[in-house]
Amino acid sequence: MSQPSAETNSKNTVAAGFWSEAWKRFRRRKLAMAALIYVAALSCVALFAPAIAGTKPIICKYKGSIYFPALGYLRRQWENPIFLEIRKEYSTRMKEEDPDSWAVWPLVYQDPYRRVKEGEWPGQPGNPSGIMGAPSRHNLFGTDQQGYDVFAQMVHGTKTAMLVGFVSMGIASVLGISIGALAGYFGGVIDIVLSRLIELVMCIPTLVLILSVLAVVEEPNIWHMMVVIGITGWTGLARLTRGEFMKLKELEYVTAARALGLSGTRIMFRHILRNALAPVLVPIAFGIAGAILIESGLSFLGVGGEAPNPSWGSLLSAARNTLEETWWLVVFPGTAIFLTVLAYNLIGEGLQEATDPRLTQSGH
Amino acid sequence: MISYLIRRCLIGLITLLLITFVVYSLIRFMPGSPMTNEMAMLDPSKSISKEDYERRLKSFGLDKPWYEAYFVWLGNVTLKGDLGRSITQRKPVASLIGERAGATLLLSGSSLLLTYLLSIPMGLWFTVRSGKADERTLSTALYTLYSLPSFVAALYLQILLAVKLGWLPLMGLKSEGFESFSIFGKALDILQHSLMPIICFTYGSLAYFSRFIKSNMDEVIRQDYIRTARAKGVSPARVITHHAFRNTMIPLVTMIGLTLPGLLSGAIILEQIFNWPGMGQLFFASIGGRDYETIMGLTLMFSVLTLLGQLLADVLYAFADPRVSFS
Amino acid sequence: MFPRLRSLFFLIPLTLAFLAGCKSSDPEVPPKPGESSGAGTQEEEVLLQPFDAPPLEELEAKVTWEDQLVVDPMDLLREKQAQTEPLVTVEEALQLRNNSMDENAKTLNASRRVAGSDAEVEWDATIVRHLSADIKSSNPLMINSTAEFDVLGLIGFEIFGFDWNMTPLATSDTVKSWQTSKDRMYDKVVLRDDLTWSDGTPITAHDVVFSFQTIMNPKVPVPAVRQGADKLRWIEAYDDYTLVYFHSEPLATNMWNLNFPTIPKHIYEESIKEDVTLQDSDYHVKMEDHPVCGGPYKMVKREQGQEIVCVRRDEYFFKDGQPIRPLHHFKEVRFKIIKDPNTSLLALKAGEIEDLELTAEQWIKETDKNELYEKNTRVTATEWIEFHFIWNCKTPFFSDVRTRKAMSYAFDHDEMLTNIFYGLYEPASGPWHSEHWVAPKTPLPPYKQDFEKAEQLLDEAGWIDSDGDGIRDKEIGGKSVKFEFTINVAESSDNGKKACELLKSCLDRIGVVCHVRPLEFTVLQEKEFNHQFHAAMGGWGAGADPYTTKNIFGTDEDRNFGSYSNPEVDRLFEAGEKEFDRQKRAEIYSRIHTILYEDQPYTWLFYRNAFYGYNKAVRGYNFSPRGPYHYSPGFSSIWKAVSN
Repeated sequence: MSQPSAETNSKNTVAAGFWSEAWKRFRRRKLAMAALIYVAALSCVALFAPAIAGTKPIICKYKGSIYFPALGYLRRQWENPIFLEIRKEYSTRMKEEDPDSWAVWPLVYQDPYRRVKEGEWPGQPGNPSGIMGAPSRHNLFGTDQQGYDVFAQMVHGTKTAMLVGFVSMGIASVLGISIGALAGYFGGVIDIVLSRLIELVMCIPTLVLILSVLAVVEEPNIWHMMVVIGITGWTGLARLTRGEFMKLKELEYVTAARALGLSGTRIMFRHILRNALAPVLVPIAFGIAGAILIESGLSFLGVGGEAPNPSWGSLLSAARNTLEETWWLVVFPGTAIFLTVLAYNLIGEGLQEATDPRLTQSGH
Repeated sequence: MISYLIRRCLIGLITLLLITFVVYSLIRFMPGSPMTNEMAMLDPSKSISKEDYERRLKSFGLDKPWYEAYFVWLGNVTLKGDLGRSITQRKPVASLIGERAGATLLLSGSSLLLTYLLSIPMGLWFTVRSGKADERTLSTALYTLYSLPSFVAALYLQILLAVKLGWLPLMGLKSEGFESFSIFGKALDILQHSLMPIICFTYGSLAYFSRFIKSNMDEVIRQDYIRTARAKGVSPARVITHHAFRNTMIPLVTMIGLTLPGLLSGAIILEQIFNWPGMGQLFFASIGGRDYETIMGLTLMFSVLTLLGQLLADVLYAFADPRVSFS
Repeated sequence: MFPRLRSLFFLIPLTLAFLAGCKSSDPEVPPKPGESSGAGTQEEEVLLQPFDAPPLEELEAKVTWEDQLVVDPMDLLREKQAQTEPLVTVEEALQLRNNSMDENAKTLNASRRVAGSDAEVEWDATIVRHLSADIKSSNPLMINSTAEFDVLGLIGFEIFGFDWNMTPLATSDTVKSWQTSKDRMYDKVVLRDDLTWSDGTPITAHDVVFSFQTIMNPKVPVPAVRQGADKLRWIEAYDDYTLVYFHSEPLATNMWNLNFPTIPKHIYEESIKEDVTLQDSDYHVKMEDHPVCGGPYKMVKREQGQEIVCVRRDEYFFKDGQPIRPLHHFKEVRFKIIKDPNTSLLALKAGEIEDLELTAEQWIKETDKNELYEKNTRVTATEWIEFHFIWNCKTPFFSDVRTRKAMSYAFDHDEMLTNIFYGLYEPASGPWHSEHWVAPKTPLPPYKQDFEKAEQLLDEAGWIDSDGDGIRDKEIGGKSVKFEFTINVAESSDNGKKACELLKSCLDRIGVVCHVRPLEFTVLQEKEFNHQFHAAMGGWGAGADPYTTKNIFGTDEDRNFGSYSNPEVDRLFEAGEKEFDRQKRAEIYSRIHTILYEDQPYTWLFYRNAFYGYNKAVRGYNFSPRGPYHYSPGFSSIWKAVSN
């Protein structure tokens, strides 16, 4: 019951010192840093996807005004309706209508939502369909069976891949860790009730839940999906956290903290939590990456939101039809998923070691 | 201990009641009914008249509101021990599950066992060699396997081992003329059939489990008592296996509890690829066909396994770490 | 019998099944023809009102009989083949890779030859066929899916069928004579007296009557076969072999109501009283696995999800050592159930199965590879299964014929045919294939993309972008409505989704927003049955008789998901059922075809071809518009050559 302001203050300084120290240690780990850079780069790709691959100019001057048609990839409304008069055929009809127009084009002239046809871009043939779409100069990662460019789909699918992982595992982690912590620390009736909640959620088949959601939600989108993955994916984390808390709450330092009169929440989240994270780090790291695969599995059930929704997972499932022939439909998205799993795990390991206060002494 | 178990079992029964109630309400909430697919598959020249539709709904017991239907189901299960009849296949749910339990258990059971047998030593080894080139190589290889979709691996294994080399059968559980084989021949035949599915079912999870072990070990080996043990001259291998590993038992036990229901859950895609008569396909098909009775039967089975898994973990905590007590 | 007549049944399913990526794995076809719905009264508790059948003499006195076709469908086929010259020898055809239409024509031509002489046929052969789904029941009354058709086609007792032209016939294997009254109110069938069930009991007219009465028993949960049979007023067995079918109304389509499956009376007569489901009691469960069969084959093994084995019944073909019917070509037919398309193809290459319906992707990818051709060859043929976008005419968007036409003009049909479906399918322009006997003489040209026309039609219909946000809108009931709709498609169908995405991107260019919503198959169906959708992608198989299309386009009919309504079409469908003259009937339906083409309740897209791979030892594959099996003679024309 001391002065709240003072306490908050000291907490902040402690926290700041701890995290900057951790960041210093993290930076020393080359692999972890490389992984972090990879994730940062991936975020950039996700953010700037329309500028990397697309068939709409990033910026153009048309009939005296400046436009940014590529924003239409992010939101339809952001593409100026004036281009309906050329039916959005920028590469061929813009010059025709207005000879003075100019445009800055994305790095790669390919579209994630359709096949690029013959004659759309000077010197670029139409995308091959069927099983003929092996990687080439014009289709860096090849094309799928219908002639959509794989590179463009992967670039535009990066956003989904990252969002799904972070949002759904974010929800799952917050739910799982706090419910597990409460159950493990307090025990007794609280544990009995929360454990039954965990069991209940575990036993509800995800497929059933998703299809029931469909009955309620008229226009399901990707956010619904992330929430569903999140609210069904936390139970394992909760069990793991609970187990750790049950063990750690009996340790001397916790007893000491309690003797000092610290509040339960404070002990839980400031003192035990840090030490209880080891078991959930790997599940979370794998979970973030694994959500990419779950997403494609769920879109199989029709909660994937609106099509076309290019994603790494959906490329992999498209590969199933012609697995032996179209290796590029497996190799490129597979590699992207592999690198992402690897990166998240390296970051997880880095975090684990960087935030371990004992490590400074151990001279690791 | 005994009273704890009894208490947990009683609570478990109440939990089961709650779970089945919630799941039943959810499945009745899914759009469509067992009739939807039936009507969709009808020859378009035909249609089911309103009266016939009502008649069929009634014969499935679906003319009642869902909560009433739930209590009918519950009554049959608790009073008569009858799981009901599959709506789409007209067979008793218990026998549908029974037919597939063996094959599923064979696949999932061996795969789980194999996963633990391989990943625990690998995880320990990763801890010892942490950060070294060989550890990095092996773990990267495991991550690669994790990212390789099982249907890709399955197809290439089939092409290589079954079609090209002819060493293993392409699919299924038994060969032609299985009944006439000797006991040894039967075992060998099933082993040959299950080898590819087990490999495909297992390889992807190695990375997850071995990294899980390693992450927990990393936490433990930095504890003071480990350093004390080292300082006292205990050999590194012994420190790892005797002192450190024992202290990662809590998360490991939790994990085993969590994977227990997996013994009977099957695998939808792999079962389809290998024509394996398992539970995954049954579950998937019963959801697609809105076969409420079968879904409930399977849910009940999974739920019992899940609750057992949790109970097992809770009981084992006390053995894994004496500081944890039953409360 | 079945293999030949395998089906009187006609419309293949539609179902997005195939599109749904499941190919034939989804159950599809049901048995028997039925009438489109609607007509007639619905009884409450009793479906079959008692009927006092007149004595046969009385009937004979007042009725003028006309003979109907009773034939061995194999003879029909032989006759047909005698009129065509082989293009290449079988040996030459088996060397072909089938990479062009020309080579396909040669392969088709050679692969369909019936055996020239008995010496060419391996009479003790086994064929291993592929099933993509298990059967749910071996009881013919419970028939509903294609898989069940394939199996029950062998073991079921059948009286009627239809040939590749979908001309109805009775098979001489089971029928002595079939006559229809001049006024179309009665059909008289005399069965052969040398028929037995697989337990040795003779098959009689009483079995047929019993089956009919069981089907019409409201307590028996028959899924599909009641439709059609319920249009019959009565069936009377005047002796062990003579049956008279009494119709309710004189219609051109009455003969399609005659065909329903037959079950043995002596097996079910008592047991049905204890268990009306025919599937639940221990006795019925035993019957499911060891059914008493009336067809040329009997089921000897049924292993859930794995395999079904049928063997030829000697007692069906021989009496006292003497042949009494033309022998079927295979001694044993094994059905291997394999759901996964990749595994099925591997099994075909490895010789573990001897026939397989290929997916479009499997067809294109096997083009220049050797493995398939080591043991197999492949053919493709037109099948009358059309796919389309349905427009829900009850929505503000598609109530106007001009907007529906605008959609058809906006869509890039060429891109769809060439790239989404790999140039394998032919375009569709209406409910009936251009080779169908009721299709207009001058084929109507399929729609082509024409943005100008599409825009003009939308403008005319009042859909103009009045607020400058890039989306066309229209004032309806005082409110401005944006032209923004959702098209539903089966999630499992990769190609179907791509076709909808193509529609989306086409419409995007003319200021119409289309959301593509992939749905689980059951959800998709549920929404269609309840008319809760704007637009959807779907497909229908062709019915054997054109009247069956009524329940798709007739006002308020059950399968009229898009609530299309045109009184003229309704009137013509009525007229079509009452017109006995084939030529005049054809004109009526051709008129419907033309009206539908003008009204565009659907945007017709394409016909899905059949693709088959089969073992080189197997011959006699004759493709009908319903594929190689689902007509007469169908499977029974297939044989295995003696190996040298």
